[in-house]
Amino acid sequence: MQGAAQTSIPRRDPQTVMRLSRLGSLHQCRLSFMRVLTRRMAEENWSFSRPKFDVDDKGVGRAVYTAQGPERAYSLVAFAHDLPPEMRSDRVIATAWDATFTLFDGIPSEADIDRLSGNVPLQEAGRVSEREISVSRANRSVRLWEHMVDVLSRGEQPDAAMLRSVGYLMRTTAVYGSGKLGAADREMIADRPEMQAPFQAEMLSVFLTRWFVRDLVEHMAKVRGGDAAVSLAPETARQLGIGNSTGLGMAPFIVNHPVLFNNWIMAREEAISRVRSVEKATGEEIAHFLDLLAKTRTSVNSWMSEHPLQIEKLAQLKRDLDALEAQVGAFDFTGRLPWDGLVSWAQEALSEEGQECLASLILEPYGALVDGLSGCMADSNSDVFVIDGAMPVGEVRDLIENSFGWAKEIDWAARENCARAWYVSEEKLEPRLGERFDETIADYEQPLAPARDAAMALQALDGWSPEEPIAAFLSAHPEHRHTVRRAQITRVAPYGEIHDNTISAQVMPIDMLRAKLSFFGATHFDPRSDRWVRICMYSGAPYPQELSTENCDLWVYPEGQA
Amino acid sequence: MSFALNEVEATAKRATRGAGYPWGLAEEASKATRWLCAQGLDGVSVLAAVLQGETKPVSTISQGAALSDRAAGLKQADARLGEIAEPLMILPFAAMAARQLEQTVTVACAKAKAVTDGSLVSISGEFPKNADLVVHLGGVLEAACSKVTRATPDKAAWEALNALAHRTYAPATEESRRLGAGAGLSDND
Repeated sequence: MQGAAQTSIPRRDPQTVMRLSRLGSLHQCRLSFMRVLTRRMAEENWSFSRPKFDVDDKGVGRAVYTAQGPERAYSLVAFAHDLPPEMRSDRVIATAWDATFTLFDGIPSEADIDRLSGNVPLQEAGRVSEREISVSRANRSVRLWEHMVDVLSRGEQPDAAMLRSVGYLMRTTAVYGSGKLGAADREMIADRPEMQAPFQAEMLSVFLTRWFVRDLVEHMAKVRGGDAAVSLAPETARQLGIGNSTGLGMAPFIVNHPVLFNNWIMAREEAISRVRSVEKATGEEIAHFLDLLAKTRTSVNSWMSEHPLQIEKLAQLKRDLDALEAQVGAFDFTGRLPWDGLVSWAQEALSEEGQECLASLILEPYGALVDGLSGCMADSNSDVFVIDGAMPVGEVRDLIENSFGWAKEIDWAARENCARAWYVSEEKLEPRLGERFDETIADYEQPLAPARDAAMALQALDGWSPEEPIAAFLSAHPEHRHTVRRAQITRVAPYGEIHDNTISAQVMPIDMLRAKLSFFGATHFDPRSDRWVRICMYSGAPYPQELSTENCDLWVYPEGQA
Repeated sequence: MSFALNEVEATAKRATRGAGYPWGLAEEASKATRWLCAQGLDGVSVLAAVLQGETKPVSTISQGAALSDRAAGLKQADARLGEIAEPLMILPFAAMAARQLEQTVTVACAKAKAVTDGSLVSISGEFPKNADLVVHLGGVLEAACSKVTRATPDKAAWEALNALAHRTYAPATEESRRLGAGAGLSDND
């Protein structure tokens, strides 16, 4: 970890942190990728412009939004479409969208935009080039969009309750980067300081998309209302985020990138450890924490969901916040290790929702201890892929058992323990989760059950001498190569494995989705099923042209009461 | 058409799996294919030939993986791999050995020789489709292949990999479409 700090309280154990229920309770924090981006852009005084907005009366056309940094510019090239409602789907299998986008590396020429206009609207059916860094699309919230165009066209502002209940005018349904559809590989941009932290290009793309969407809704109101139409009030506009609708694709991602996922979790765990190790808190630090705790309550009060599980989780989080508020009201912050005291109390008194909310909140007063860790969150260690064949069997066995010793006790032949199988459909390669015993999918299973595979490998290792090099075992059992590699990776990535069964009848894929989305900095988790979730991004954030060092960081915490 | 190296890697992994390999070796083959493409060599054609042409009990990919797994053994003795189909596929694994040992590694047959330091490779002569290979430590890296950031594979080979990759995709069924992604609700809200 970069910038070593003195810590007396160790990082939490992976066996505690890497349970699915806890990963499914994570909250945004100072290390969230959206906040890393807006802090950097404000500190470096990025400038923003709209060189093109060419959209007709039907809302069809193109626009370009450019973000200019100290060394390089990036441009969102947006295409607006007139989408028949029956084609509106958030799933991968959709073939048309309300708007489509690409993040261009630099400032595009007319020829670039023409080239992109023949490809970006097609998304997976089109091709982009190494000049493009991401490709994305978005669909309207039909009700808020119509309401907004209607009221603005008549010179009025939108209904506050209506706006709050949806939270965004458009939601992205995929943001592809890292070479997908022919775009630039991560390696082509990874050494740029502004792209070093994970997903910065994707976060920038969404930040600019939010600006485009505001312009587009105002344009449509103007078309309808003419001179009677008004712009969206700036404070109202700021409440609007960009939604995101996410299916199963994110779950395989965190299993397939154990080093990257480890680096996110480990950076946050290191940050928590550093703050828990703070000997004495100043009055200013305590006041800052208490202020943001109150604002967290305001934020959580505005989260809406109709999903029974999320309704219960939200209710629990609110009870936790009640308990936390009562606790901090009586808490002696002047003692030694005050943050560790609070966290230790929470381990007994709060659910995982409340514990993780608190763990993120205590980081807020300590930017100097925490923010530098964002530089450790990328995965630049490609050589961990290489198996050390000289490692003795006994050592490999120990590594597997570190993460998956518990998996030996599970009866993997029992239906409930392997009821599900992850697979990829031939329909636009949509990732899916099926019922192993009811559908003909087992032959297509993806390697997304590390716990089961670990148990199988441990069984196969029985009878092998602990001193034998693992290379001999791998020659005889190439089917366990995948597991041996993962086990060796845990040497540098102790938080790389999920310590739970990802194919049980009870697995909740949304837990994996939420873990990833929390690192983006998402709020308003709203599951649509056990494997589908909507969230909100950048709600409360300044728009690019308003971005300043004063408002670049704490925008996620709303002012006022909700 | 040019492809991102990530696209090559993803397709190579699925294709190798589709050809019947276990996932672990499919991962190895996909990294190897990407490595070749990054050297400006057509790794896609090499992998397609390996996956389509196999008749031997021990495949080139398994031989390559074993070479990397037993890299430390090269310090004691040269590795005589015997006759290998598509010998270029051994180079990325020799590179993995070179990175582990932090020395150059040479892959040679009667008609050709390749030296790699793990990152770069220089090739002299032309490797035949099948070659009796010996791998040893050391060797001087001469005019190395120029590295590239995009792959421009042979079209037929790329299609062959995609056809193999397709075997890993579950056929579309109504039930799968309805339940598998779990969306269920209308998005017109």
